[in-house]
Amino acid sequence: MNVAPSRSMTVGARVAMRTGWSRRTRQERLVYKLLLPVFGTVFVLATIPFVMAVIEALTAGSRGFVGFDNFATALSNPLLFESIKQTALYAAIALPVEILGGLGVALLVHRVVRSAALRAAIYVLAMIPIVIPQIAVGVVFRLVYQPDYGILNVLLGRTGADQLLWLSSPPLAMIATASVDIWQWTPFVYLVLFAGLQTVPSESVEAAQVDGASSWMQFRHIELPYLRPLLLLVLFFRLADVVRVFDHVYVLTGGGPGTTTQYLSLYIYRIGFQFSDLSQASALAVVVMAAMTIFYTIISRFLPADRG
Amino acid sequence: MRLGKWTPLLAGVALIASACSNTGAPGGGATTLTIAAVQGVEDAGLKALAPMYKTAKGVTLNIVELPYDNLYSKLVSTFQANDSTYDLAMMDDPWMPKFGTDGSLSDLGALGISRDSDIADVVWDVGTWPPPRGPVPPSEKAKPKQLLGVTIVGNVEMFMYRKDITPTAPASYDDVLANAKAQKAAGLTGYIIRGKATNPVVADFLPILWSQGGDVFDENWNVVLDNAASKAAINFLVNDLKATAQSDPGSTDAADRDKIMANGQGYQSSVWPGEINTAVLDPAVTKVKDKVAFIPIPKGTSGKGVGMMGNWMLGIPKASKNQQAAADFIKWMLQADTQKTYAQNNGIPSRTSVLKDGSLAAANPYFPVLAEALQAPPNWRPRTDQWNAVETIIGTELNKALTGGETGDEAATAAAAAIRTLMKSKGYPTQ
Amino acid sequence: MRRSRRSTRIATAGLLLGIAILFAFPLYYLVVTSLKTKAELFAAVPSLVPQALNLAPYSSVLFGRGFTGLLVNSVIVGLSATVLAVLVAFAICYPITRLPASRRLRGFVLNWAMSLRFLPPIAVVIPYFAIIRTIGLYNELPALILVYTIFNLPLAIWMLRGFLDEIPLELEQAALVDGASRWQAFRSVLLPLSRTAILAVVIIVFAFDWAEFLFAFILTATPQAQTFPVGVQGLVTQFEIIWNDMAAGGVIAIIIPLTLMLIARRHVMTGLTFGVIREK
Repeated sequence: MNVAPSRSMTVGARVAMRTGWSRRTRQERLVYKLLLPVFGTVFVLATIPFVMAVIEALTAGSRGFVGFDNFATALSNPLLFESIKQTALYAAIALPVEILGGLGVALLVHRVVRSAALRAAIYVLAMIPIVIPQIAVGVVFRLVYQPDYGILNVLLGRTGADQLLWLSSPPLAMIATASVDIWQWTPFVYLVLFAGLQTVPSESVEAAQVDGASSWMQFRHIELPYLRPLLLLVLFFRLADVVRVFDHVYVLTGGGPGTTTQYLSLYIYRIGFQFSDLSQASALAVVVMAAMTIFYTIISRFLPADRG
Repeated sequence: MRLGKWTPLLAGVALIASACSNTGAPGGGATTLTIAAVQGVEDAGLKALAPMYKTAKGVTLNIVELPYDNLYSKLVSTFQANDSTYDLAMMDDPWMPKFGTDGSLSDLGALGISRDSDIADVVWDVGTWPPPRGPVPPSEKAKPKQLLGVTIVGNVEMFMYRKDITPTAPASYDDVLANAKAQKAAGLTGYIIRGKATNPVVADFLPILWSQGGDVFDENWNVVLDNAASKAAINFLVNDLKATAQSDPGSTDAADRDKIMANGQGYQSSVWPGEINTAVLDPAVTKVKDKVAFIPIPKGTSGKGVGMMGNWMLGIPKASKNQQAAADFIKWMLQADTQKTYAQNNGIPSRTSVLKDGSLAAANPYFPVLAEALQAPPNWRPRTDQWNAVETIIGTELNKALTGGETGDEAATAAAAAIRTLMKSKGYPTQ
Repeated sequence: MRRSRRSTRIATAGLLLGIAILFAFPLYYLVVTSLKTKAELFAAVPSLVPQALNLAPYSSVLFGRGFTGLLVNSVIVGLSATVLAVLVAFAICYPITRLPASRRLRGFVLNWAMSLRFLPPIAVVIPYFAIIRTIGLYNELPALILVYTIFNLPLAIWMLRGFLDEIPLELEQAALVDGASRWQAFRSVLLPLSRTAILAVVIIVFAFDWAEFLFAFILTATPQAQTFPVGVQGLVTQFEIIWNDMAAGGVIAIIIPLTLMLIARRHVMTGLTFGVIREK
């Protein structure tokens, strides 16, 4: 069947057009009746801790309410901006590789691999890097990158190449930590996008192929529109998760050399636990959330999740 | 009408919640004591004692092990919430100021634990808050002195070197450097630097700093990390010793250092007692059996060699509902015969008589050195609840200098400035 | 033309193979490390193959250290939280994708779900700790189930909505016109068509739950409620990394979900044989 004509309208509008006014109001009431109990419950459950974090950010232990003092303290530390810069660089290395790589592999498997069993097997195997405890991932990569006994330098040595200080030269330490991220999370992007590709109607693809569309055009005009919400999902999930990277960095470099790999999560952890300032850590987290939300709002304008 | 569909689900969640809400703590006549312990060799002896205590007193010890950093954040959060899960908590001695300042721990004196002359004074002092000597944080001056923690792992940082290569122990850091250069030329790692950012590099550095006459604070909380002696000590580490070190000191932690030493690739380094039996001298891995000597920290330009304490203590959280039972366990654990059994099971005792017991020294050649080091006495890290922050600052700058990101002088200046700002903001009279 | 097509195919296969090797190497090294003895791990030059099949690290992790109980906790928490998250997400996605929800409501729900992911966990972990203690769930498995359910809603909601949007409304409409109730239409039309979607979401959500550390660590106090990643974390001590046990822990963490998939392979195969939605 051809569903293309209704693509440009919201689901609601489509139903409304077909079913008429009286039905619509009844159905709209049904929306709220179905949505409210479940959504309302999780909304409240998830919002309470957030509100508590905001309160924490506006208070300071025995001094009680201090307004935006914690924010001022947090934003006056030059190490914060250093950390933001390094986190941005980390994201700039890891995210494009993960998203383009995951998309590329998803497209390749989608077009090249025909066997259903093989597809399912690849899908299940792609889950592996995600299920390994973070700390174990860090430890294995330490055994790879450690300059004295890491396998990478040993292999490089056999080829006669220079042995490199993967963990304590600033650019390499960043690349080493980012490579762990890439290894671990490209499969996640693949999992989401490959599943998404399967929703593309085969009729549209066949029609395009009959019209002689190139592989690229087929991707650009038929598959990409279907992937938009999922691309927005993986982009922002990866972006939000870059603010969570912790264990593998801690095991590999401990934030060093200097502050090169003291990414935001490590920075916030140190403010919260090493500097014993949970209020400032909460203020930082609220700032991060606000910044991400603004960023998300802007990006989602350009990459609308709802087609049309 | 469709509402009904989701009711069972929500009711289910609520039911699970209510069914599990009877998280009762163990009752008054404690038969179980829950201990938060650090994972690793430090609690090996404690685990060995648990079945004995069960037999002797009928009390089960439930030892919950958490790795170093996690134990700290776990204790901070449970103490803050006044949670009663843990009856006893193992604490590294630099954490004591934080828990003392926050008032998280019970006074052990009031529970009947008192000083014992067979255990070095410094061991009792380190568990006393506010500290009996050295600078006291301004907020703590008015508080009465209380014993809040009792050492169960007598830990002092020491020095190790390959006695098969140079039979004479280095007497000073000048000797250390001269030997390091000679051994580097001979193809070994002359001095293994534990240089990973923050805590590890600071632990390696502080004995050098103190022995060379430098310090972090003076008696009035003024920062002296950027005075001439301190700068010289920093430069000694990041220039002189680094020139003789392994390829990548900046990412080296204790596990890496021990591997180099056990393999016979390294000549000397600082060492914690906890690293000796599980790595450097572990029969399963070591290639340097009978070839390594353990000595107190060599003398520096100050004329002294100053070791660093890293005692693990046992304290009783105020929130515990089994105060007396917990204190009884500590008393039992400190008995001489218990300490001996403890030492036979990889525990590191603090009793002088046990450390000097000839029957134990064969398996633990460093025990007499440890006894000597405890009498010296070793330095403890500055007694302030800001220590973890200070350590993070110093450890970051040192690591940067070690990896070539700045000079030793720059590291000293940057760290000192950051520490001054921090201490002033916390109400210290720091200049 | 034909020739170039063939060479493209070979290049593509080569590329996929190269990616597969890069991807597999750390896994291979994980397995190798888990089979080495401590003496081998202390060797000055590491080897790419273990000297012998040394299974001691596995028995150490499972029995010596008693992590079996933690694995059981992980499975209970992982499965319950996954099922709950997918149910709740489905309940939220159904009205906003299959019924005439206003654009505003739909946008609100979706953006709220996404924003849930933006708050760094370090900030909410202490509030969650306080709440969980207040309701008496501290050091209890339901606490983790509850928290994981909430945290995986963003992913579950966004993925499900991506799939549900693509299932033509006409199919359900047809059933409704034929006299089926909305419930029947849901059961007999939508549910079978969403099987792929649900399974894909289940797999990813379970993977996330399975490896979570921070909340599992903060919201528990003893092995009674700790999960496997919390135990594995303990193998990096202050002075020592227990390399082989750690690697064995990593391998075990992989094996359990793969075994679960194998047990459910009939469902996994029918579910993951992608393309069902459109070919109907």
